[in-house]
Amino acid sequence: MRKSAGVALAFPAWVWLLVFFVAPVGMVIWFSFGYKPGIFGTHANDVLSFDRYAEAMSPTFFATFQNTLWVGIAGTVICLLVGLPVAYWMAVKAPPSRRGLLVALVMVPFWTNFLVRTIGWQVILAPEGWLSGALQAVGLIDGPLELLYTRGAVLLGVVYNYLPLMILPLFVAFDRVSGPLREASKDLGAGRWTTFFRVTLPLARPGVVAGVLLVFIPLMGDYITATVLGGAKGNMVGQLVASQFQTAQNWALGSAMAVLLIIVIMATVAVGAGLVWLVTLPFRSRNRLVLGEPEPSAASKPVEEVAA
Amino acid sequence: MTESTPTVRILASTDAAKVIRRELSRRGFLSAAVAAGATGVLAACSPGGGAQNAPVATGGPLESKLSIYTWGDYDAPDVLEAFTKELGPKITLSSFNSNEELISKLVAAKGTSGFDIVVPTGTFIPQMIENGLLQKFNMELIPNIEHMDPAFLGRAWDPDNEYSICKAWGTTGFVYDKNIITRELKDWNDFIDAAQNEASGKTSVLDDPAELTGIYFWANGIDWTTTDPAELDAAEDFLVNTLAPHVAAFDSYPGGSAIPQGTQVLMQSWNGDARLGILESPDPSRWQWVLGSPATELWMDNWAIPAGAPNPEAAHAFINYVLTPENSLAELDYIGYHTGATGIEQAAADAELPMLDLVFFTPEQVETMHEGEVNEAQERIVEIWNTMKAAAGA
Amino acid sequence: MKQRSWSDVVLSVWGVLVFVFLFAPILVIIVSSFNVGRLLVSWQSFGFDSFLALFEKPAIRDAVWISVQTGFIAAIVATLLGTLAGIAMARHPGKWVWWFLGLLLLVSVTPEIVDAVALLPWMVFLGQDLGIGLFNDGIIRLVIGHSLFSVAVVSYLVRARLVGQEGQLEEASADLYAKPPATFRRVTLPLAMPAVLAGFLLSFTLSLDNTVIAAFVQVSGTTPWPVYVLSALRSGLRPEIAAVSTIMLVLTLLALGLVAYVLRRAGDSAADIARTMGGG
Repeated sequence: MRKSAGVALAFPAWVWLLVFFVAPVGMVIWFSFGYKPGIFGTHANDVLSFDRYAEAMSPTFFATFQNTLWVGIAGTVICLLVGLPVAYWMAVKAPPSRRGLLVALVMVPFWTNFLVRTIGWQVILAPEGWLSGALQAVGLIDGPLELLYTRGAVLLGVVYNYLPLMILPLFVAFDRVSGPLREASKDLGAGRWTTFFRVTLPLARPGVVAGVLLVFIPLMGDYITATVLGGAKGNMVGQLVASQFQTAQNWALGSAMAVLLIIVIMATVAVGAGLVWLVTLPFRSRNRLVLGEPEPSAASKPVEEVAA
Repeated sequence: MTESTPTVRILASTDAAKVIRRELSRRGFLSAAVAAGATGVLAACSPGGGAQNAPVATGGPLESKLSIYTWGDYDAPDVLEAFTKELGPKITLSSFNSNEELISKLVAAKGTSGFDIVVPTGTFIPQMIENGLLQKFNMELIPNIEHMDPAFLGRAWDPDNEYSICKAWGTTGFVYDKNIITRELKDWNDFIDAAQNEASGKTSVLDDPAELTGIYFWANGIDWTTTDPAELDAAEDFLVNTLAPHVAAFDSYPGGSAIPQGTQVLMQSWNGDARLGILESPDPSRWQWVLGSPATELWMDNWAIPAGAPNPEAAHAFINYVLTPENSLAELDYIGYHTGATGIEQAAADAELPMLDLVFFTPEQVETMHEGEVNEAQERIVEIWNTMKAAAGA
Repeated sequence: MKQRSWSDVVLSVWGVLVFVFLFAPILVIIVSSFNVGRLLVSWQSFGFDSFLALFEKPAIRDAVWISVQTGFIAAIVATLLGTLAGIAMARHPGKWVWWFLGLLLLVSVTPEIVDAVALLPWMVFLGQDLGIGLFNDGIIRLVIGHSLFSVAVVSYLVRARLVGQEGQLEEASADLYAKPPATFRRVTLPLAMPAVLAGFLLSFTLSLDNTVIAAFVQVSGTTPWPVYVLSALRSGLRPEIAAVSTIMLVLTLLALGLVAYVLRRAGDSAADIARTMGGG
């Protein structure tokens, strides 16, 4: 009785997503088996085939996908490396009275329109902008700053715009690792680094996973963020999908590309998860072994208990 | 015209109707073509899709409201305000980012979009007419069309201006930095050459497939609306293998930031955008605008009234209102593009607007500008565009 | 408190640097809003002219207002649905959770343009063909479009917060004869609160920036701010766009300050304020 009532909590979300996502998007996916009927038609489904999928799997798709994957992975990793210490600082080190303010301040810049704040970056990074001038005056660079429209600019744009999606889940996760647990770890002789890597980080894992997924997945489908600062180097596969729906007005091919994109992103996430699982396998088994040892085991014990 | 009404009703509805739809829309197109050849008797009774009962403009009293769906910040606020003050209807503005968005919206809404005026680009007008998305003007209510220069009326997409009147038009050329490119560039071949030499890695091109393939076609004396597969293949080969490695960005509006900030050395751009960028540059003398030659494009955004518009009287009154010489000049001053009015060049010169050589062109230059077309090659040029982007991003 | 170690100092410096990074372009925009010139990016001279646009151009004011309204409603809807779903997933696991997570994953990997072209005819179908007038309303259409990804985000966050954590508390509460609704309200919800607030903030933020879906589903008179800005590129962005952004920023900061002040006056301790605003 209680169980079914609990599951029913998800009912509104089910209904909402079925009506406003599954039904309409399903219809568009259905178009991917059809074709474009003429110059001015966008889709027709009287003849069904997989031809659009064959068309979509072009060398262009895969070449573009390679670039997208590079941007996606590099962007997510940098977001994690930049965001993790900040989230930890906000949740653990910053004065408790300021934490709420800090969380709000992470979001505030993003209440300025996306295009407008990117233009802010363009002004900063322009070859004749003030940053370029300042760096030249200090002597750090010889000529004008040549960062715009490079791979570096692609990453800057991506990291800037996706950072809050990383920081927030990490903050929530670190916040839930209660102080007493860390105190216990320290009392039992673990140093601050051991405590962080053996207690805090493993307990924050769901937050890390949430953050990585929240950055990586939308980033893979995005096609505007990477191009505004990165220009041609920020070419993304989402652009192919959008160009079919918009400029070519071929909804059939666009849908097929979208389905392909969805499958490839999911496969990438699955492969990534598998890799992480493999790489962390030795660490996890070492933790398990450590349990039996007399001295440093103290630190890892709570990990096992709580994570179990 | 009445048979074409069911055609529109079926549009974009259930899948089962798709086949019928194709048949019908072909016939609908024929009947529209017949009507287009006939006199203006039927002018006001256009296909309204689901909005058969939509009001028709007969010169009666103006409605109290007017909804305009256009590009953002594309009209002088003073003109809009004065219209409401003088004639009454309160204006609601909505914005779109692309013609495709506009068309999707009108197709899906089947005549109930609620917009009274839309501003599509000329090349999309045949598609909109075929799909019954536009209604014919009641020309009696737009006498101010007499202020328009005949050169910018009767373009290929709507030869008798039954559905559309020029709002603003522009052309394509390029801008280069004279500090870096010290020789004089004159035409598209020079553009291509400079892109591969002095400006390599500092070149931007328009983020639009037609203007991209256009660079090759214009430079080589080929009609840029070609559907010849061999010519398209040659364009792809050139753009992907020769030009792409030198392109730093696909930027449709370099005037908005790249020119004033000096980010690029060579930029393909539209005239109004280039003018804005050069005017706002801290060092305008450094930039040189070149009109594309031997051939280039002519694009035109047009006033049009969508089928089923709830306030057609006000829509006609507004279009008539903006065509007056003073309002036309105010619009030109605000957005920086030629509105197609007669004698506006003199008026603009009298008003001492700067850099008018990027707004007005000689009749000989206008001769070299050709309108684009959405045709069978559309999918192919989108493919070329995507392939070139992949090559430039690698 | 022990004295601060070097690692704490490095952390604080890093934190401050990242905040500088987050606000750097915003500062440029604030400065640009005092630019008297034709283009946002190109400085001419100092003045307040661009702020007048808010009075002279109703289209700008309307667009901002539509975005703020939509952002709030979409965030509330997404937070409500996502929180309930997240709690259900964390506390009542079963085979259904995998199905639901699969759906959420699908929602988040679907490119926005696909949602956009799918939602437009669907809304028209619901609104005109089925005659459900609700779906002809611009704000409602925008809210629906903006809520999809946000529902997934909130669900993930709430689930990540609750999973594996102190489910015993709820059991204890039940053992103490608290009725399920009371347990939910007194135990589960407070536990999930930081994730709920973080989810709300993210949903609001994502909605404020949504351009692709918004452009397709909007109706006459409900152009949201990002669509306006993007479409204004065609004629060159004016400084007034920066001015409006500055005003929005100032209002936002004032609102945040006001919330903090009211909570403080209400007698909460500083720590409680932090907790309410998204801390722990």
